[in-house]
Amino acid sequence: MSWLRENWRVATLALLLVASSVALFAPGVGASGGSGGAAGGQQATAASGPTNLNYGLELSGGVRLRATVTGVTAEGVDVTVDNEAAISEEVAAALDVERGDVRARPAGDTVEVYQDVEPSALADALTAAGYEPDTTRVGVTQATRDNIVNIIGSKVDATGFGGADVTDIETQTGDRTHYIVVEVPGQNASQVQSLIEGRGEVELWAYYPGDNGTQQNETVLRGEELVEVDQPDRNRQGRPIVPVQLSQDAAERFASDMQRYGFTSQQGISNCQFPDGGYCLLTMLDGEEVYNASMGPTLAPDLQSGDFVNNPTFTITANSMEEARTLQVNLQAGALPAELQFQDSYYVSPSFADRYKPLTLVTGIAAAIAVALMVFLRYGEPKVAIPMVFTALSEVVILLGFAAVSGLALDLSHLAGFIAVIGTGVDDLVIIADEVMTEQVSSSRVFQSRFRKALWVIGAAAATTIIAMSPLAVLSLGDLRGFALITILGVLVGVIVTRPAYGDVLRRLLTDNR
Amino acid sequence: MSRFEVPDVDLSQYSMRQTVAPPLAVLVVALAVIGGWMATTGAPANPGIEFTGGSEMVAESDASQSEVRTAFETEPASIRQVGTGGDQYLVTFQTETVPDIRDDASVSIDVVQSQEVSPTFGSSTQQLALFGVAGAFLGMSLLVFALFRTFVPSIAVVVSAFSDIVVPVALMNVLGIQLSLGTVAALLMLIGYSVDSDILLNNHVLRRSGGFWESVDRAMKTGVTMTITSIAAMAVMTVVSYIFGIQLMTAIGLVLVMGLTTDLMNTYMLNVTLLRWYKFEGVAQ
Repeated sequence: MSWLRENWRVATLALLLVASSVALFAPGVGASGGSGGAAGGQQATAASGPTNLNYGLELSGGVRLRATVTGVTAEGVDVTVDNEAAISEEVAAALDVERGDVRARPAGDTVEVYQDVEPSALADALTAAGYEPDTTRVGVTQATRDNIVNIIGSKVDATGFGGADVTDIETQTGDRTHYIVVEVPGQNASQVQSLIEGRGEVELWAYYPGDNGTQQNETVLRGEELVEVDQPDRNRQGRPIVPVQLSQDAAERFASDMQRYGFTSQQGISNCQFPDGGYCLLTMLDGEEVYNASMGPTLAPDLQSGDFVNNPTFTITANSMEEARTLQVNLQAGALPAELQFQDSYYVSPSFADRYKPLTLVTGIAAAIAVALMVFLRYGEPKVAIPMVFTALSEVVILLGFAAVSGLALDLSHLAGFIAVIGTGVDDLVIIADEVMTEQVSSSRVFQSRFRKALWVIGAAAATTIIAMSPLAVLSLGDLRGFALITILGVLVGVIVTRPAYGDVLRRLLTDNR
Repeated sequence: MSRFEVPDVDLSQYSMRQTVAPPLAVLVVALAVIGGWMATTGAPANPGIEFTGGSEMVAESDASQSEVRTAFETEPASIRQVGTGGDQYLVTFQTETVPDIRDDASVSIDVVQSQEVSPTFGSSTQQLALFGVAGAFLGMSLLVFALFRTFVPSIAVVVSAFSDIVVPVALMNVLGIQLSLGTVAALLMLIGYSVDSDILLNNHVLRRSGGFWESVDRAMKTGVTMTITSIAAMAVMTVVSYIFGIQLMTAIGLVLVMGLTTDLMNTYMLNVTLLRWYKFEGVAQ
């Protein structure tokens, strides 16, 4: 027992090393990729290869997008279930935006406008309507952001991009800016960007000659009026289609609209000359026409007879299978309430990212050899130098073990942190070695007193490093955070366990008594 | 085997003026470079696209640099080779998105990495980085003052850490190295490294028995070993990662080599002189 009391640091170091090795190399021990979301929205790719380490996007390949949501919010507005609609209409009219771009929420007493308008304009509009807001600001509410995160999540899922991660993060700089972060492993930037560019609002428009002879556009079907969206298919003519089913209400309205606008009349059937006239059904995506179709000769009688309302299935046609898939994804996930503005995108191809791993390892080993060489040249005594190099490297092993257990997704910033840890580690070990070796160490007691003095310097240096890194560890933009966290963690492990353990080992080797 | 010995430098043979002048001169020159940079470019350093907004890509191509340059729909702001393999280029654009490769481009280009940053996001990152460095420096200063509780030794640590950051920034400007998140991380590491050797020196002189020069001598033996070992490791890292084309590590390594070399000068000339004045003249008053 007394051995353990005096050598607890060495024992702990040995224990940590064994535990870390198990965490790193034993199959099935490391945290699964699913828990990687805890690491500040970093995407963890399921561990594969010789270790249980998870790699972030920068080391495994894929794309990361950061975007802000367009919109302004008024807070402290007296919104009730009764005046909710009235507020929205008045604000929409005053700001000259669409009714759908204004959202009043009784739950939070907030009014949001999903357009790029000045907060003061919203304040004025609300005040003029008699609803005095407490504050107005750029940005949207948490409820809207949650909704956006969910919709993007289902869009990414519907496209079949595996392992994607969508989160909402807040940074403390600027005016409390929130970012929506989308990380998709293994895809390229434009694929993911096109998926969430625009709101993804699919509509069916009727394009027909109006009463005064000019062509009219009227929305006859919205994405949210569908109760079922099937996988894209091809119709009998080989055209890519998305089969959908309408809700009962929507089916009735659609049938009556079609009849009213004359699509079921003799000249309405199979008579589309878009954009020159005629009767067309336009498939619209975010207000852009993607396809124009004529009224089919079989659908028209169904609409008239009421058969359509009893079995309200319909097909939305597209030009290509890819376009059909885009429409299907947008219909299934629903439209985003507001547009996103891309702030930052990062893409690295999986094969290129993969190359980073061995190259970084070789670079690290080369640096470690340089350290070992310097230490040997300086002390000339293997008894001092070998445990020193061993201790410095064991800190890295312990940190990697921690990364494997916690499922931390390693990125380049973490690797920079490892460099910092080895650097301060070597500094501390040199301090310990020099302190202990200045004069012939005769007894364990002399050693203890010198060792304690060395520990003061190391502790003070460690405390300053931790203080220096802590602002970055709490500021959450991701990139420098991983660096700061690893550095702090490494310094703590080093000062509490590994570096003092080196002192213990050195004492055994130099004093020889007990 | 030849051994690496810390050379015995007898600092006591120089006057205080002689030892304090070089580091102060270097600091003044560095501040002048940064001031001049600010006057001409409006920023104290060369901020990279992470801070200004813009786009950047790593393109792999067998074609020559000038062929790659003309292959894009927008003329690149800069292009340079990455690594020593000869087929990777770092191409930077002022546009917010990476432009397409021209349809009539005769060369085949594979985009293996790309980054696009909007100016608003860049300025918010810049604010964050600035806040981080300022916070780190302030926290370090407060702790140093709390540890030593005397003005001159504490300010010596703070001034030398300040110089250790400022001189590499000035050198980065001169050498055309851009300020990126990686180099900001390196500047923060410098705070840690710089304080290590300074605290060691202060501790030996203030808290230990023995004469002033004897204490300085002992602190120097340890401190110089520490710093030289770190410089060796970082120099190797810089060279190896440059060959492999790992830009982040090259940037960090280079900044650290510059900063650690500055630290060697600051600790054993500036810091020692301040402590010497404090021990021999400051205390007597």
